Amino acid sequence: MADRKRINGPPSGTKPPVFASSTKASGRPQRQRQPNDLRKLFLKTGLIPSASGSAYLEFEPSASLSAARSSPQSLIPPSSALKLACTVHGPKPLPRSATFSPNLVLTTHVKYAPFAARTRKGHIRDSSERDLGVHLETALRGVIVAERWPKSGLDITITILEAEDDRWWGDTPDSHDAPWGMMNVLAGCITAASAAIADARIDCIDLVTGGVAALVSDQTAEGEASSPKLMLDTDPAEHKAILSACVVAYMPSRDEITELWLKGDSSSVSLEKGDSRSGHDALIDGAVDAARGAHTVLAEAVRESAARHSGLPVDAATT
Amino acid sequence: MAPAAAASPAAQPTPPSLSLPPSQFARLQPHAYLLAHLSPPTTSNHPSIRANGRAPTQFRVTSANTGSLTHTNGSAVVRVGETAAVCGVRAELLHTADIASWSVTQPSTGSANKRRKLVDPTLKASETAGDGDDEESSDKDESHIEDLNLLVPNLSLSTGCAPGFIPGAPPSALAQSLSQQILSLLHSTRLVRADDLRIWYQPPNLGPEDLERHNESEQMDVDAEAEGEKNREIKAFWVLYIDVMIISLAGNPFDAAWASVLAALRDTKLPKAWWDIDNETVVCSDAVSDARKLSLRGMPVASSFCVFEADAAAGWRAVILPDAEEERKIAEDNRRGAQRRWILADPDGYEEGLSQERACIVVDKEQGGNGKTVVVKMEKNGGWAIDGRELRQLVDVSSQRWDHIRQILEQC
Repeated sequence: MADRKRINGPPSGTKPPVFASSTKASGRPQRQRQPNDLRKLFLKTGLIPSASGSAYLEFEPSASLSAARSSPQSLIPPSSALKLACTVHGPKPLPRSATFSPNLVLTTHVKYAPFAARTRKGHIRDSSERDLGVHLETALRGVIVAERWPKSGLDITITILEAEDDRWWGDTPDSHDAPWGMMNVLAGCITAASAAIADARIDCIDLVTGGVAALVSDQTAEGEASSPKLMLDTDPAEHKAILSACVVAYMPSRDEITELWLKGDSSSVSLEKGDSRSGHDALIDGAVDAARGAHTVLAEAVRESAARHSGLPVDAATT
Repeated sequence: MAPAAAASPAAQPTPPSLSLPPSQFARLQPHAYLLAHLSPPTTSNHPSIRANGRAPTQFRVTSANTGSLTHTNGSAVVRVGETAAVCGVRAELLHTADIASWSVTQPSTGSANKRRKLVDPTLKASETAGDGDDEESSDKDESHIEDLNLLVPNLSLSTGCAPGFIPGAPPSALAQSLSQQILSLLHSTRLVRADDLRIWYQPPNLGPEDLERHNESEQMDVDAEAEGEKNREIKAFWVLYIDVMIISLAGNPFDAAWASVLAALRDTKLPKAWWDIDNETVVCSDAVSDARKLSLRGMPVASSFCVFEADAAAGWRAVILPDAEEERKIAEDNRRGAQRRWILADPDGYEEGLSQERACIVVDKEQGGNGKTVVVKMEKNGGWAIDGRELRQLVDVSSQRWDHIRQILEQC
């Protein structure tokens, strides 16, 4: 049945455009960064004054994307860069109908904008968006000191304006395929939500950040698959085959992980010589390293937010 | 009345006895707070100014940025003060074969076409030379866009933009009404030309003599346009999904949303598309050089106003007819120089909560700003304060706003 509270398009539905060019002239975008090099982050707090805390996060566009922006050739974007806005409302009293809770009740809500991904998203949350919400909730629940706010609720809402791709658009889905882009989105959500919670001045035991690492086997120029390599902060559009990926929510000063999500098969992977770690360990270590990298940006954003709250002059913190 | 009495002690700008900081006072006594700002005592030399520091007809600082979202055909971010709207336009295809009523309605429009063709030869030159704005084509325009729902605007407030909106819930009444207002404004201004959204197919004319003439060069459709337009048919339409996400709501969402829709549509590029007879589908070219921008009709700009009444109980009066006694009092006050009501442009969330009467005026200017101002839409509700004289002033204010918005949109 049609959604009567929204404006619906033609009843017979519409199809996304099909492009005729089979050339894929530009080819797969290449990773220009070193394996342990992270993308730059833009993180800013306090953009939404009616919320108790808010943050906006944006990833630096990859080299191919910024090249495509400055001199557009094709209408098909080579890759995309994450953009999301996070708001925190609360702590506020729970509705009367709610049962007693001695702790802060955390509600997380992640929604893609209809234009966020390569295929149009619906207005109602789908299973992957609910999944992201649950992952985010576990990541944050371990950080907030929930006993300080009995009988209160905290709503965290994330709107994703632009999501990462799951694979390069020219690839057909294959056996290695999984929603890899979701993992980058989750890492971004964790970092942004952490900044927004700090902006709302809610007590936390540490600043939690998200990080992603992946084992990729890229084809070399000769066409043979090299041995899998560990890459931090992977852009799925840049890799032919991601064997497995891992996202963590990590608290650096306590050296604790509140959320760990690992996908793909990493047990049978042997890394380069001289690295005796198992695939799992290497992945988790890599993701933690990535999270440490994001932490410096987060700390800067939180410092800026604190300066704003205390009425000190704010100098723009962009890293 | 108690509120009126409460208003008079507050009229001193900062009484020494008041130990509350201004922000607390604004929350406890919002009406008195705003009134004290707007009507400072005559003894002090404070100008009459709104609580947010603006003059009554001053709009908030507006900025716009387009084309920053990757997966859209056109996108814009518009910030009006602290209200921020992100709009993304995405084009998808609607094949005429999928339209249930297409084959039924088509013969009738076809006959209209034929009838037009009989008169056409004389009109043809002027029609193609002109901007295609003649009556007949515009009639057909509207019917296609409206009948087939080719423009699909949706506005979402459940982005955590303000505390009242529960994310995940169905759209609130405000979101629904804003979506509908945008849709009706898109239809009534005829901003998007239906011709931009049509994908035509010209069957090759395979008559024996034509075959000889054309088979070596592909210039068929250039020539064919002149001779055989009768078997040209529409194969598909572009459907524009216009999604507005209000990221931050601090009053006056409609102006920001409409400005973002306008900026995004100005930014929208549609790929070149054609009917592929072999695959029986529409294919597009991904080359940017082939894509073309929408040619919009004019640039309607919305400006919203609210009316703040000095009498806090104004909202409680049963407004059936303007109270003659009340009006006389206000007129008398005006003569004495004491203003009793203020029309505030571009209200923020605080002012919106304190006023009953709203007005929204959408204006456009002919010939890209040099012609006369055209009122595209005028909407007013909730009270009697704005009458013909004030509306005339508001149209002037709106037309100044139009100049300002045009500058902003042309820079981005």
